[in-house]
Amino acid sequence: MNAAQLLNGIALGSLLMVLSSGLAMIYGLRGVANFAHGALYMSGAYIAYSVSDRAGFWLALLVVPLALAVVGVLLELVFFRPLQHRSHIELGLITFGLALMAERLVVLIWGERTLRVTPPEFLQGTSNFLGVEYPSYRLAIIAIAVVLAAALVLWLRSTTTGLHIRAASQDIETAAIMGINVDRVSLVVVAVGSALAGFAGALAAPYIALDPGMGSAFLITVLIIVVVGGIGSIGGAMIAGMGLGVIQSVTTVWSPSVAVVVPYLALTIVLLWRPTGLAGKRVS
Amino acid sequence: MKRRLLAATTAVTLSLTMAACGAASDSSGGDAEEGPIKIALIPPTSGALAQFGTDSVKGWETAVRLVNEDGGIDGREVELLVKGTDADPATTLRVAKEAVTQDGAQFIGSVMTSPEHGALNAQLEGLGALSFNSLGKDDALVGEQCSPYAVHVVQTTSMDVNALANSIAEMPGEKWAIQAVDYATGHSAAETFKAAAEKAGKEVVLEQFAPLNTTDFGSYITKLKNSGADAVFAVEFGADGVAFVQQADQFNLDDQLKTVLGLNMVSEPLFETLGESIVGYYNNVGYDAAADTEANKEFIEAYTEDHGSAPYYVPADAYAAAQILFAGIEEAGSSEPAEVAEALADLTVETNVGEVTVRGTDNQVLRDSYLGKVVKGDGGLAFEVVTNTSADVTTTESDPACKF
Repeated sequence: MNAAQLLNGIALGSLLMVLSSGLAMIYGLRGVANFAHGALYMSGAYIAYSVSDRAGFWLALLVVPLALAVVGVLLELVFFRPLQHRSHIELGLITFGLALMAERLVVLIWGERTLRVTPPEFLQGTSNFLGVEYPSYRLAIIAIAVVLAAALVLWLRSTTTGLHIRAASQDIETAAIMGINVDRVSLVVVAVGSALAGFAGALAAPYIALDPGMGSAFLITVLIIVVVGGIGSIGGAMIAGMGLGVIQSVTTVWSPSVAVVVPYLALTIVLLWRPTGLAGKRVS
Repeated sequence: MKRRLLAATTAVTLSLTMAACGAASDSSGGDAEEGPIKIALIPPTSGALAQFGTDSVKGWETAVRLVNEDGGIDGREVELLVKGTDADPATTLRVAKEAVTQDGAQFIGSVMTSPEHGALNAQLEGLGALSFNSLGKDDALVGEQCSPYAVHVVQTTSMDVNALANSIAEMPGEKWAIQAVDYATGHSAAETFKAAAEKAGKEVVLEQFAPLNTTDFGSYITKLKNSGADAVFAVEFGADGVAFVQQADQFNLDDQLKTVLGLNMVSEPLFETLGESIVGYYNNVGYDAAADTEANKEFIEAYTEDHGSAPYYVPADAYAAAQILFAGIEEAGSSEPAEVAEALADLTVETNVGEVTVRGTDNQVLRDSYLGKVVKGDGGLAFEVVTNTSADVTTTESDPACKF
């Protein structure tokens, strides 16, 4: 296996890392398997298509997370908070329904046609990285994802909001008794989680082709990553996302048919070996 | 008393069961000789193939509008029942059964993939419905999976590849790599292409298959680059095809390639999305939009009027399927699927894709196949038809495995 194949795995892993960290945040705090996470990612990619078409790709990277954060606020205020005492299955089904509606909405706005986003001119083509000619845009994804992951971990570990998020993710009731405003923390978490999904979509837009089913294609993999990483653990999800991306890409070189089952295999092995996931109960 | 009650209950149950059976039997296929002629369309409505499904429906809609405006077929109106599937054979089969047994459809169209057609073909005779395949290209559909109730309107993969094979010798590039989708059509295309390439004195240095709905082709493209190939034969459809072309561009794969030859990878609806990076790509072209025939002109005009855009091979083949069906019903003087199937055997029909004949031994529609090259014209990207190969070259005889 050569270095380019390893970079392919790291690039895919970087994308999965950003996407799964948002889902892990929401799952950790709200306990909701947010089946709309794939739809948020897909919506992010489509909004990025429209924004980058009119105002450039870099602005899209800024606008998309903000737009999706607003969607996250609505999700929290309209669904998650009022229904927080209902069973997780009911909330999961609601998010599943929202995902289906989002898919149809995207078809109504952008149509069923497959779309493509062109990366900024200086990121087109290849660059020489450690002696390997590799697509510049993929290298940029890796760099952005690493910076984002570091910033996220730093935010969770060094700020008061981060402390509150970690506390509420461990035990939301005790956190509330200790004086933490868990409603505000939840709002922040769902908004940031949704923004991360949108950001992943915007990052992915020049990487993959845009079609309304693109969210569903990643959703199962991302749900598996969250479970493998340790439910609710953002750090665990990041490690699992990167690991799975690399393993899947490497397996594709050897046997594409086997690569398809890698996430399921990883899920089975981790659940048998370490039922709480790679990170156990740690949040960051 | 108990015995009488038991006997009465048994009699009532039996009579109800028989009545129910009778009702089910009556509803199957609808009333074939009265009322509208019903055609169920079952395209994929989500995923990588959704757009082709939608466009196939548009072709049928135009054909039905025109025939109904002309007073229908033998005075009977034609009605479309548009359903949806996720392109999973089990789902498609369930929807088809519902359409035939509950909605009274006699004919089926717009089913997309070869596995769906394979599953459907096995059930058509029992269902008593006639299917028109304008999309699934797998050779097995007119081989071991053929059905007297399935008309194969579209060219098979081997017909397409045989048409391309005629030109392989002249195409630049000696070391070919095959990148194909990991399902029936991809494998049969790869097999046929490999044989044709080797016959033309070319070397196949790599053969790899990616699952349908692959989003990241990085690993595949890296292998292609490392293989030393100077030409690629690619069988990737819809969103997969776009992702492959887009990522190949990012990897600068084209720099080492003299030829990129696609099978259904590049088509008119994707020109805008794919952009100028595909100029010079070769691809099979199922339908020559520039064909100067009355039937084709009428189709293009009506389709453009209905849908606001020019047609390409998917709606064109759906329209051709409709024309063949209508000709079959007229020839049979009936819309009973079995009689229409019988009437279609060796029938020649003038369609928008030219004069075609339904081969009686396997129901393959014999028609021309084309090789096109993407060129940049005044109105944007377009296909320039490079070669035109007739059916007597692309499919010399039917597969002996097909027995009606």
